Amino acid sequence: MSDLYWDKKVETMSREDLRKLQLVRLNETLARARKSLFYKDRLPEKLNDLSELQKIPFTTKQDLRNSFPFKMVAVQQEELVRLHSSSGTTGQATVIYHTKNDIDNWTDLVARCMYMTGVRRSDVFQNMMGYGLFTGGLGLHYGSERLGSLTIPASSGNSKRQIMLMKSFKTTVIHITPSYALHLYTLMKDEGIEPKRDLNLKIAFLGAEPYTEETRKRLEELYGFDAFNSYGLSEMNGPGVAFECKQKDGMHLWEDHYILEVINPKTGEVLEDGEEGEIVLTTLTREGMPIIRYRTGDIAFVYPEACVCGRTHRRISRIKGRSDDMLIINGVNLYPMQIEEVLMGIPEVGHNYLIEIDKVEYLDRINIKVEVRPEIFKGDLNALEKLKYRIADEIKSNVLVKPHITLVEPNSLPASEGKAVRVIDKRKK
Amino acid sequence: MASQVTVFVENKPGRISRITRALADGNINIRAITISDRGEYGLINILPDDPDLAEKILLNRGFSVSRKEVIAIIMDDKPGGLADVAEHLNQSNINIANAYGFILQKGKNAVLVLEVDDYAKAEEIIRQGGFHTLSKDELHNI
Repeated sequence: MSDLYWDKKVETMSREDLRKLQLVRLNETLARARKSLFYKDRLPEKLNDLSELQKIPFTTKQDLRNSFPFKMVAVQQEELVRLHSSSGTTGQATVIYHTKNDIDNWTDLVARCMYMTGVRRSDVFQNMMGYGLFTGGLGLHYGSERLGSLTIPASSGNSKRQIMLMKSFKTTVIHITPSYALHLYTLMKDEGIEPKRDLNLKIAFLGAEPYTEETRKRLEELYGFDAFNSYGLSEMNGPGVAFECKQKDGMHLWEDHYILEVINPKTGEVLEDGEEGEIVLTTLTREGMPIIRYRTGDIAFVYPEACVCGRTHRRISRIKGRSDDMLIINGVNLYPMQIEEVLMGIPEVGHNYLIEIDKVEYLDRINIKVEVRPEIFKGDLNALEKLKYRIADEIKSNVLVKPHITLVEPNSLPASEGKAVRVIDKRKK
Repeated sequence: MASQVTVFVENKPGRISRITRALADGNINIRAITISDRGEYGLINILPDDPDLAEKILLNRGFSVSRKEVIAIIMDDKPGGLADVAEHLNQSNINIANAYGFILQKGKNAVLVLEVDDYAKAEEIIRQGGFHTLSKDELHNI
């Protein structure tokens, strides 16, 4: 095994060989998928060229919901060993089923990602994501064990214990949400712990919620670790679909397991590399539940150039937003995620906000409601006004639209547990 | 040192009645109350006889509450009483962030409440000027 790559042959395979492999695997996938009720009559017999994929209709989130519970399953139920499910807050839950080989492939992909960022057998990995139906916890857990790191299944919450674990076992790698990382830092400060001096953290995987480049840099400075972006969605296993290499410049999407397309979300037309659009993915090795041309809803672009790290798998940009929630504010296109990234990076705000779009005197206005929680309230009017200006300024510099900030009483916004509605467009009334 | 309880409120009808009723139910006596208004929201400053209990009651009702040390100066209830205190403070370069007052016994004495940046220094200077500042217990027992 080479020092740089988990799987050198695959990771550095020539584009031509990669495309050949994709065509073979795509035809195998089509054959498997036809065994499911959903895909039975939707797919051609055999494709002679990858470009013919464009003739196959897209699969949507709604298709997944309509297929509940088993219509997209392509194997006998006894072949299935695991399922993961979405929370289903916005409709029927979507369920993804895995065979033993599916779990095996997923695990290998996650190990490949972790290895790429520099994780080795000698590392201690503390997984601070929730275990359970959510794929983030188990996905990285299995990947880390495959890689051979000492794995601590800490799961989320219980900050004091998290800190104790980090100290006791000299944790070097963590998997954490960025807002929790910011919160944890303030707790460490209260306990007199200086992460750079008292802990051994080297690498962090930040995930499960949007965050800005500034937040990443801030966390890197506070903790002294290297933080890596990743991309994954439960429909495509979960974590391990795309990950940054040490260049931290775009996420390599593993094209031996997925076909990557970027489309115009309105017309469905396939776009060139470099053009921004919706990511569409096709599984190439999935047995339990193959998914063909899945519209992820995620907006990004593909880097046209090759990466200096030597990996040939193309890179995708940061996810800019979701195709279904683009907002037009006085003619400017923006995604709520761009605002959320900023808000979550401000510790006084965290998850306690609501974005409202309304009209004031014929002009669109972004009104952001932020709860003044007891922890941040010091009885100081000036501090509150400063916080308002700081939030507005940071958003203005990121999305070029100046929002109105409304401070509200604690517990007056919808609870932030799970996926609460954080954006309300009042103009639609 | 006297202690003031500050509550964050949105500018909506019924906030003051909710807060004062909650304190009344807890048998809290309010010595003075002021409002700092910022349009959409404001701060309600309350000088209660029992600040510890008042803070607890309001926190339990889900409000964001903060405690602040303030200086309560007792002065004569007569024309020029306040001017005497203010002149002395002005000479001593003490910056006043907020001030309010209330009468204790009509024609006899009144209380001036001050929010200052450096209250330890301020209190020392006020005492040197021959004025009497009320302690938490004194404020409780008046």
